[in-house]
Amino acid sequence: MMRRLIQSLCVAAMLAVTAGAAQAHPHVWIVAKSELIYAPDGTITGIRHAWTFDDMFSTYALQGIESKTKGVYTRDELKPLAQTNVESLKEYAFFTFAKVGAAGSQKKEKFNDPIDYYLEYKDAALTLHFTLPFKAPVKTPALALEVFDPSYFIDFQLNEKDPVTLVGAPANCKLAVQRPNDGSAQAQKLNEDTFLNGDNSNYGAMFANKITVDCAP
Amino acid sequence: MGRMDSGSAPRGASRNDAWDKIAVVALILVAAVCLDGIVHTAMAQNPFGAPKGAVPDSQVGGIVGWLLAKQSEFYRQMSATIRAAKTDGSAVGALLGISFAYGVFHAAGPGHGKAVISSYLVANEETARRGIVLSFASALMQALMAIAIVGIGAVVLNVTAGQMCGAERVIEIASYGLIAAFGARLVWSKGGGFVRALRSCRGAPSPLVPAMVHVHGHTHDHSQHDHAHSHGAAHARDVHHDHDHHGHDQHAHDHAGHVHDEHCGHSHGPEPSALAGPGGWSRGLSAVLTVGIRPCSGAILVLVFALAQGLFWAGVAATLLMGLGTAITVSAIAIIAVSAKGLAARIAAGRDGSGAVLLRGIEFGAAALVLLFGVGLLLGYIAAERVTCF
Repeated sequence: MMRRLIQSLCVAAMLAVTAGAAQAHPHVWIVAKSELIYAPDGTITGIRHAWTFDDMFSTYALQGIESKTKGVYTRDELKPLAQTNVESLKEYAFFTFAKVGAAGSQKKEKFNDPIDYYLEYKDAALTLHFTLPFKAPVKTPALALEVFDPSYFIDFQLNEKDPVTLVGAPANCKLAVQRPNDGSAQAQKLNEDTFLNGDNSNYGAMFANKITVDCAP
Repeated sequence: MGRMDSGSAPRGASRNDAWDKIAVVALILVAAVCLDGIVHTAMAQNPFGAPKGAVPDSQVGGIVGWLLAKQSEFYRQMSATIRAAKTDGSAVGALLGISFAYGVFHAAGPGHGKAVISSYLVANEETARRGIVLSFASALMQALMAIAIVGIGAVVLNVTAGQMCGAERVIEIASYGLIAAFGARLVWSKGGGFVRALRSCRGAPSPLVPAMVHVHGHTHDHSQHDHAHSHGAAHARDVHHDHDHHGHDQHAHDHAGHVHDEHCGHSHGPEPSALAGPGGWSRGLSAVLTVGIRPCSGAILVLVFALAQGLFWAGVAATLLMGLGTAITVSAIAIIAVSAKGLAARIAAGRDGSGAVLLRGIEFGAAALVLLFGVGLLLGYIAAERVTCF
């Protein structure tokens, strides 16, 4: 009897757990390309992103946007939308999380409002370009950057070819990229356990793209 | 689930057997689900549907991972299928199939509808049939909300996606507030029953032996409610009490009046007659409203996409099919929830006072879960599937 009871409690737990989990699947897919911008003195000044949205979301985002030629949107026509995009992204910390310093003593870095932002519409897909300047340029031998949506409404994928480039970086800097799916990531298991352990608010982190730059001599 | 076949249906051992079989099947499913989690933790073989041809990795395992992968897979097929439908009418069939499958896998849609409906059913002494009705009604309402938002916003007013998304967010916050309020109402009514069950079983220093005699009779009575009509032997005992407690369905309002009632495990669930009555349905309606007010983000995206392709009607059809798929999944979960509750009630029936406390405790826990979901969603502790506007 007791075993049956435990089993029925198990049902309840599973219901609660799958309810939270199964609903959170991405509705937007972004293919990301990023550049790390270095100043001549070797400090990192910011990150330049180019995010290409999926077909469905691109079309959705263009709803209500007027254009002279049907199906063709100029950078000017898309200016208000780009403005909305970057302003809204602020609330989500631009889905870009930077930490500097050696492992163990890492410090989070903040960004200023984006600059040089614009949207491009090509092959039925919108690409949002924007530059995130660091609040203070970062001089560090080690930078760790993650791009992901903690709530996993958006699925970020790094571009297959040259997902991250270093612009003007010192020659001794080594770049490493971890994709959530390419097998190089540490064992990050997403299963029922993850949800039973609580904190499913940040489980999008399991789909994070991790970029590390190591400029140690 | 005896209420499904209540009335003049014969009550014999065969029905008991059928109920047992259903319970066993449900338990096997549950055990499989639980086992699956363990196995996948150990083996982590089930890969996330890697769309870019990546090597399968030990990222996402178990049923959750599989659900995630399936949902994404179906969802991503939709845009291509809608595009194809522009030139090829036969693609509409495929679109409807994909939408239905997406609905099945997406299950309760946003707002933790599945959890809220199941918890509501467990908190109250609801029947499977009502669970199914509530599931279909809330899924239909969700679909209609999505169609209304896009129909008015995009088709009539031609607002931007950002403006529609803003409206969606307002509705989202409202729905979380409704879940919290609904949960608070359940907690209020169920908390009373739980406290009374505790007090009358353990706390009261009144003469012990007579109290326990009372306890025994009433425990049998109430724990058998869920399937009272399928248990011949139990039923004979129930008749008296069933009549006694007719009219106590509005427990939320008159529960103070029960304080004098020292019977352990006094049932505060609706009586069968109340379920069909206006009181029962209006309570169910608030569950439907709570869950159904928030449209599915996926449906809104699909509708706007279809509109842009000049196939708004295809988007509407897809949305309704998604709703149908969702309804079927939620119904299945609702049936499991009701069965599990029924099983717990049967087990509780075999244990005097503690059984009633357990049963009221489960109801109270389910009510608290609804409240926690609402508050958690409202405060952002549960951030899953929050509408992201940008």
